[in-house]
Amino acid sequence: MGIGYAALAIKAGVSPMQTIAMSIFVYAGAGQIIAVSMIGQGATLLAIVLTNFVVNLRYFVMNLCVYNKVSENSLLTNILSAHFTVDESFAIFSLMEESSIWIYIGISLIAYLSWVLGAAIGVMVLNILPVIVTNSFNISLYALFVAILIPAVKHDKKLGLLVVFTGILNIILKPFVSNWSLILSTIIAAAVGVYYIDDETVMGSSSNSKDEDIKTRSY
Amino acid sequence: MVDVNLVILGCALVTFIPRLIPAVSVDKLNLNYKFEKFLNLIPYTALAALICPGVLTVDTNLWYIGLIGAVVAGSLAWKKVPLGAIVILTVVVLICVYSIVPFF
Repeated sequence: MGIGYAALAIKAGVSPMQTIAMSIFVYAGAGQIIAVSMIGQGATLLAIVLTNFVVNLRYFVMNLCVYNKVSENSLLTNILSAHFTVDESFAIFSLMEESSIWIYIGISLIAYLSWVLGAAIGVMVLNILPVIVTNSFNISLYALFVAILIPAVKHDKKLGLLVVFTGILNIILKPFVSNWSLILSTIIAAAVGVYYIDDETVMGSSSNSKDEDIKTRSY
Repeated sequence: MVDVNLVILGCALVTFIPRLIPAVSVDKLNLNYKFEKFLNLIPYTALAALICPGVLTVDTNLWYIGLIGAVVAGSLAWKKVPLGAIVILTVVVLICVYSIVPFF
């Protein structure tokens, strides 16, 4: 996965050190891909940072669930582990019986190291590999995105329609707002989804523990 | 081109702050149910907006390369192939496609 990101970053004109630095300091799969794609397209700093903020806002909800689940809430371990939440670590931990912060830190660090190492290996091997292979690696993240979306869409037709609506909206908005179309179509479609999608689809199915935790706490 | 170091700094900040808030104030936050639903939908809509039309620019010279990749990945996901295998197989298929393209 990190290799695909590295391929996109280098293609966008980001230096190898910056490519690895972004993986270390930002650490957000989709967010980083968007950032380097937007750099390549000549987007402004504000547009890139704002888009990242919106796309990565889901980590807020994920961490809310994670720190609600952990049995021992120590401020120090919470702060130290906060940076390492991504979709994968969150998904694994919230479906686990274990609720120790150390288990979470372990899972998260493995995901973190493989992402950073992937970027490092990516920037190194991209010079050696033939163009055909590096070009083919460009698809890897899109393949991952499609692979994550399809099961959810297959499960729920309304969500499938919302996904198609988002893509079309993104294409329609692009000529008018250029790089803001990603952020706008993401927000507008999610807002539409709040009223269109059934509650069970996004509030209860994916990981039971997180949703119930939040519900019992909030209400 | 935009200053990449500033991009890294800015993105690091706006990504870390939302991650940090729940870690330091887990007992104080109460999420509005609708807002939580909105946030839960963001990954899906963000992925959709990322894929469409971005996947067509995987190779700026051959737009259909990305389309082939998306169809391959989508079909494999439909058949419940594991994530890692989908990514590897899609890359392999594209390497094969690239090997054939010069003959047309």
